[in-house]
Amino acid sequence: MILKIKSKTEPYLYSAPALIVIALVMVLPIIYTVYISFTNMNVYHWKDFKFIGFKNYQKALFMLDSGFLMAFLRTVLWTAVNIILQLIISFLIAVLLNVKGLKLSKLYKTFLMFPWAMPGYVSILLWKMGMFNTEYGFLNHLLQKLGISKINWLSGNFTAFVSCIILNLWLALPFMIMIIDGALQSVDKCYYESAKLEGANFWNQTRYITIPLIKPIIAPMVMMTLFTTFKQFDIVYLLTQQNGSKTGADIHTVLTYAYENAFITNNYGYSSAVSIIIFLILLVYSIFNQKDIRGEA
Amino acid sequence: MKNKNNVKSTIGLVFLNIFFIFLCVVTLVPVLYAFSVSINAKNDFLSSNFSFWPKEFTLKHYKSIFLESNFLSWVKNSIFLAVATVLGGIAFSVPAAYAFSRRRFKGRSGILYILLMLNAFPTVLSMAAVYRLLRTMGLINTFTGLIFLYIGNMIVFGIWNMKGYFDTIPTNIEEAAKIDGADDFKIVLKIILPLAKPSIVVTATLILIYVWNEYLYVISFITGTSKYSLAAGLYSLQVNEYTRSWPAFSAASLLISLPILVVFFIIQKHMVSGLTAGSIK
Repeated sequence: MILKIKSKTEPYLYSAPALIVIALVMVLPIIYTVYISFTNMNVYHWKDFKFIGFKNYQKALFMLDSGFLMAFLRTVLWTAVNIILQLIISFLIAVLLNVKGLKLSKLYKTFLMFPWAMPGYVSILLWKMGMFNTEYGFLNHLLQKLGISKINWLSGNFTAFVSCIILNLWLALPFMIMIIDGALQSVDKCYYESAKLEGANFWNQTRYITIPLIKPIIAPMVMMTLFTTFKQFDIVYLLTQQNGSKTGADIHTVLTYAYENAFITNNYGYSSAVSIIIFLILLVYSIFNQKDIRGEA
Repeated sequence: MKNKNNVKSTIGLVFLNIFFIFLCVVTLVPVLYAFSVSINAKNDFLSSNFSFWPKEFTLKHYKSIFLESNFLSWVKNSIFLAVATVLGGIAFSVPAAYAFSRRRFKGRSGILYILLMLNAFPTVLSMAAVYRLLRTMGLINTFTGLIFLYIGNMIVFGIWNMKGYFDTIPTNIEEAAKIDGADDFKIVLKIILPLAKPSIVVTATLILIYVWNEYLYVISFITGTSKYSLAAGLYSLQVNEYTRSWPAFSAASLLISLPILVVFFIIQKHMVSGLTAGSIK
């Protein structure tokens, strides 16, 4: 009897410490944010804030000049461009790494993993100051050597957006290459042999054998990457928005937009509403792609 | 015919090797450039006749980083925060992952589902709420508060990642051990942990990298740069004085990255299996 009760309570006991910490650090802030999102908390109403219903949500979703919708569209574009480029480039590189007879492929792989191994935000700052800097950045040195005039990378909207994408690719490609490389190696070689016998060319092999076979393996990782790309904050923030060193480019994604409203202009109620909208969008997305995200569990 | 094919594929391989060497160099340029600037004795990176290869070498920028009064305490703080978070994170998530993997109990799949959905909330945006929480608990401006936040943020990943791996370990060894009278604690310690080494190593490393990278919590909740971690310290260097000491900044960046690079490449062979066991079979 005692044994039975014990084995019933055990799993709760084992997971309780972790779940309590998660409840405090992750769940409580979400509930609090929901609560604040219905109030007018801001610099002027720091303590004496009151309920204002759905006004913050209305402002974000229906006032076109609030900036949220623009930021949202930009974030969708940002995510789409990044994921598509990542998939194409890493697929090509992974296929080339697996070419028969490429003896140094292990060595190349190690070097190509380097950006992943660097602490992410150190890389971002190095890129900001080493590569994109107008005065002494590497890219502008290169342009000058080629006889082209300097570009102010981070201050124009378009160049800043492109710069952020280049940097994100640099940071994210290694992981994707590794995943696709692993998936390619798990494909049974005999499929290709029989395809060759039937005269299928490389394109057809890729389309009818490789892609269908690696799709289920890389799908969860692609979903995860989509998620993290949508939520990417550090790149855009550190490159263009950083407090005290704004570059002038306005390429807010939803996250930097919400962050600025909360901590720079201290519009907490509104920023909380934006946070909850982002949360709901991602929530709906993950519910739809649940199977892919959780794998087999 | 065969010879012709061989020649063709040899030429192809030569081009492929050239392509990969080029790709590797392009990939490494940001790091190589920072390194070149950090050991360059002349500040010619500002001028147009700058060259990638320094004409004179120096270690003075590295020296200046160590003499920078706070750098060593940043190192100490980062190591302390990282070690405490990794140990705490693993200690909290292993028992939970074990329970979710091996036991069937009421609410199990519901909790797992909620844990997954929590990822949808961007943690950057919970800063204000987290501030209130820390203040209520009296943990503002303390390392305990930071470690508490780090653990909370990382164990969701830890539980899911390790649960996925535990699921792939056959249960018959455990059943045999149970018949011999081993309790859960012994089973986890003697059977699960050794067998799940890749996933534990990878989880621990990713927690370590997270802490090493984290600067927003530190600059928001910690006052006084001497209590900063390396990431926050580098951030403050960059905000305040980078224009006059970009070589020193490069030196600091590379020094900060070095331990992570070493750890990463040591565990690289575990990376694929440790991260994807739950989803790839």
